[in-house]
Amino acid sequence: MRPIIQSEVEELLRVFIGEDIYVHSEATSYVFVRNFKVKLSQAFVAGDGPYRVAFRFDQIGWLRMEALTHYELDEESRLLLAGYDDRGRMNVALHIGKEPFAE
Amino acid sequence: MSSETRKLLAVFAHPDDESFICGGTLAKYASAGVEITLVSATRGEMGRRMGNPPYLNRETMAAARELELREACERLGIQHLHFFNIRDKTVEFADPDQLADRIAGLIREVDPDVILTFHEQWGGHPDHCAIGKATIEALDRTELEKALYFISFGDAMEYPEVYGYFKKDIAKINVSGQKKAKLAAFRAHRCQTEIDEWVWLSDQQAMRRLGNYEYFIKGNEEALKRDHDDLF
Repeated sequence: MRPIIQSEVEELLRVFIGEDIYVHSEATSYVFVRNFKVKLSQAFVAGDGPYRVAFRFDQIGWLRMEALTHYELDEESRLLLAGYDDRGRMNVALHIGKEPFAE
Repeated sequence: MSSETRKLLAVFAHPDDESFICGGTLAKYASAGVEITLVSATRGEMGRRMGNPPYLNRETMAAARELELREACERLGIQHLHFFNIRDKTVEFADPDQLADRIAGLIREVDPDVILTFHEQWGGHPDHCAIGKATIEALDRTELEKALYFISFGDAMEYPEVYGYFKKDIAKINVSGQKKAKLAAFRAHRCQTEIDEWVWLSDQQAMRRLGNYEYFIKGNEEALKRDHDDLF
């Protein structure tokens, strides 16, 4: 995982626009959702770090998360975004991929 | 010989439960020749600590923690390790009947003298309480007479009255000779312990932070028949 560079994450997100994607989203201490499937219509990155990321879905709906600090395009071409605190603890995660994540 | 080998089955929820909570006791019995089988219901893949500085993400965590647990088992002398492949944080939502059946099958297969699990109420985490509850049910189903104990945190059971128990309900195991193994197991769980500076001090300094005793709540009549300073 590398510190987020906004322009690079925006470019990586573009690949998923108009596609059916599987999403893992969590606020670590409170909630996670895994493998909900949506068609992504728009994706936004905002902030100066930590960053905010928002998705708009094809038919209807939003997903917005904040406190994201790191990203990685993994070996399976999934875009992994996460927010860590200054001691390596995860606060949030937002992963998207074209195939389901391991249950 | 093999028919005389004493056996212990530990049924826990996450990689590190075995080390952080009762690693000294497991190391002690393993070094005395007890054959130990450990179940970790999950791979701890929903953990919050991702290394310090972080080197894991949610998708890489399961494999990393499995490796860490295998190393910790070596440090403690645990011979057999089973995962139930339940997702971390969802043990309480697993089908209780199937889960109990699965544990009962393992109890029959391993045929242990002693079973360790979490207390159904004082487990400290929903996954812990759920695996404890399932293990109690599983042992009931086997109708076997095995000594059942619930692991406990730190020295909380020096004062068992707070939890509705009495001294007679507690086994207190001296683990002062196992601090080195226990510390090595803590360090094996690197992504979870990097944040705790004391673990990475010199061996001498770090071992001073480990208690001399680990405490177990006697979970059935069979356990109550045993001494207070020995699980067997």
